[in-house]
Amino acid sequence: MDVSPVSNPALDLAQFPRLEEVEFLPVSKKYQGMRLAFWGAVQLLLLGACITPFLIYTFGGHEEMEVFSAWYWPLGLQLVFALLWFLEEWKGFPRRGYAVRERDITYRTGWLFRSTTTVPFGMIQHSELSQGPVSRKLGLNHLKLFTAGGSGNLRIAGLENESAQALRALIEARTRR
Amino acid sequence: MSVDFDVPKRQHPLGVFIIGAKFTWNLVRSFWPIFIGATLGEMEWYYFLAIPVVLLFTGAFALVYYLRFYFYISSDALIVERGIFQRERLQIPFDRIQAVQLFQGPVQQIFGLTGVRVDTAGSSGSELELVAVRKSEARVLQQFLSSKMTSGTAPESDVEMGEDAAPLEQQSKPLVSLGTAGLIKVGLSQNHFKNAFLGLALFMSLFQGAEEQVSDWLNGVPAVLLSVVGLTSVLLFIPGLVIMGIFGVLTSLGSVFLRYWRFNSTLGQDGLKVQMGLLRRNTFDVPFDKIHLTEWRSNWIRRLLGYETVRIRQAQAEGSGGLRVFIPAMEPVHREAMETALYPDLLDQKVLFDVTPARRLRWILLAAASVPSLLLLAVPSGLHFAVAAAWLAFVFWTTGRRYRSYRLRVCTNSIVLEKGWFWQNRTVLKMAQLQGVEWKRNALLERRKIGHLVFHTAAGERTFSYLQRDQAAQIRDFALNQLHAAEQRASTEPLSSPVDQAQ
Repeated sequence: MDVSPVSNPALDLAQFPRLEEVEFLPVSKKYQGMRLAFWGAVQLLLLGACITPFLIYTFGGHEEMEVFSAWYWPLGLQLVFALLWFLEEWKGFPRRGYAVRERDITYRTGWLFRSTTTVPFGMIQHSELSQGPVSRKLGLNHLKLFTAGGSGNLRIAGLENESAQALRALIEARTRR
Repeated sequence: MSVDFDVPKRQHPLGVFIIGAKFTWNLVRSFWPIFIGATLGEMEWYYFLAIPVVLLFTGAFALVYYLRFYFYISSDALIVERGIFQRERLQIPFDRIQAVQLFQGPVQQIFGLTGVRVDTAGSSGSELELVAVRKSEARVLQQFLSSKMTSGTAPESDVEMGEDAAPLEQQSKPLVSLGTAGLIKVGLSQNHFKNAFLGLALFMSLFQGAEEQVSDWLNGVPAVLLSVVGLTSVLLFIPGLVIMGIFGVLTSLGSVFLRYWRFNSTLGQDGLKVQMGLLRRNTFDVPFDKIHLTEWRSNWIRRLLGYETVRIRQAQAEGSGGLRVFIPAMEPVHREAMETALYPDLLDQKVLFDVTPARRLRWILLAAASVPSLLLLAVPSGLHFAVAAAWLAFVFWTTGRRYRSYRLRVCTNSIVLEKGWFWQNRTVLKMAQLQGVEWKRNALLERRKIGHLVFHTAAGERTFSYLQRDQAAQIRDFALNQLHAAEQRASTEPLSSPVDQAQ
């Protein structure tokens, strides 16, 4: 049996590598445009749906359309919802970003609902790059990282082609150790 | 080894009957509305001809399925070839196997056969079943696979030594085993209220996993809402409550006897072995390093009797069934034995972080729990006022206790999450097995520097809510550090392991 003394110094808990000190890399600015465009499209549809009762009430001239006199309720709700969503997009987008350390990757997102998720490279089972038709036009990629059990899956959306490839290559190299 | 698994082989011939029975059961399960529909109309005698015809067809299918089903073991995987028209070749590498389970349903018990179920961590088609294998063969297969999956990274010579598993058997320590008295004890300490619901659900729809849905639903209701659900259901069901109670106790006892009959568990050198069941007898073999979470639960009665229930969770995709192993009646001795095997650092009592949630949680719990009394006051009357006041006093008292029960402790390798005062729940996970750590909060909480720390494991996520940002950051950094340290150790160990040096 080996009886040499083992060094066992007291732990300074502030000494462990700190995640808060890393710098986050932003995702592509083009992705913000894409998200805002999506926001606009959805809002247009919803607005149309909310305005219809008003139009029917004002120009329809039917007696039985009395229900639609409360047309401003859905419209008001919709406007509040649109504003919140817009704020989330506008203030949340600059907060989107990822940070790569030697052994793990961290993704930060959201303004109203914020989350910072760290996934160790060693636990990544496989990765996937995906592009929709619009993001292909814009040259954007979404990188999905899969972990066992699926609860720690990470989706980093809106990466430029080069940075996506670089990130993926890095992850492949790190996970294959 | 007396049994040879190297060449493709069929299952035991009697398996045809078991496969046939399974096919028929599946058929009945998926078409029972049609059968019921058919009986509603006018019945003609020739309708019944359909029964032998269908049976004949399923029998023929079962025979062909049996004849075309092969399994064998290659150098690094268990391989199954199956399928009638569309052939399928399943290859399960040993290191992907999470657990090997032997089961004997009523049919297998009659024929003296055993089914073998192999669980993997995949999300789809996550398990593989052989339904009819001779008992001796199954045991050899289980031991062989167990030795392979725990030493997946070990050199080849090491594995061959593991094949005669006699020395392993000798080293195993007995854990919980239950006789009739033990079963009654466990049965009486179940959550009868929940079991009554489960029993009802089971009674009403014998089909398609309704039990699991109700159970998931009850577990999924946020803690803050449970009291609301509880009170409203009490108000609704007071007359039916007695009947429900009796029904619940009977269901509890019945299900416990069915599930845990002749329960026996042992801690082996590198895995847990559990046997249980009356109609369907199960034998589980779970290696320690494939256990991703343990959940320890107790209620007031169980604490009075001095034991808790442990639930063992393995890697599984969200929502998929996966393997569920419960060990009821874990006394302190058993708990210590299990923690020695799984989480030795917990016994050192060296707690690096001991964190309680922010005060805000207390107000949230209180606010949520007082909702029923506010509802009562919506229709003011003397009685309502009295009931509301009583409820508020009760809630005020319990909320303090509930709030104080939330606790997060971090030892050198493990994280312990505790919650609950009446129903206590303690979840233990290893930092080395974490799949990710998340820090989550909304904009309002962010201003107060409070948030939720989410631990993602292969067996699902576990959250500790409302803790201070600084503490959370420290814990997260420490957990990630321990995870990386374990990874580093694992990647360097094979080079300097004592086994290699000895050879």
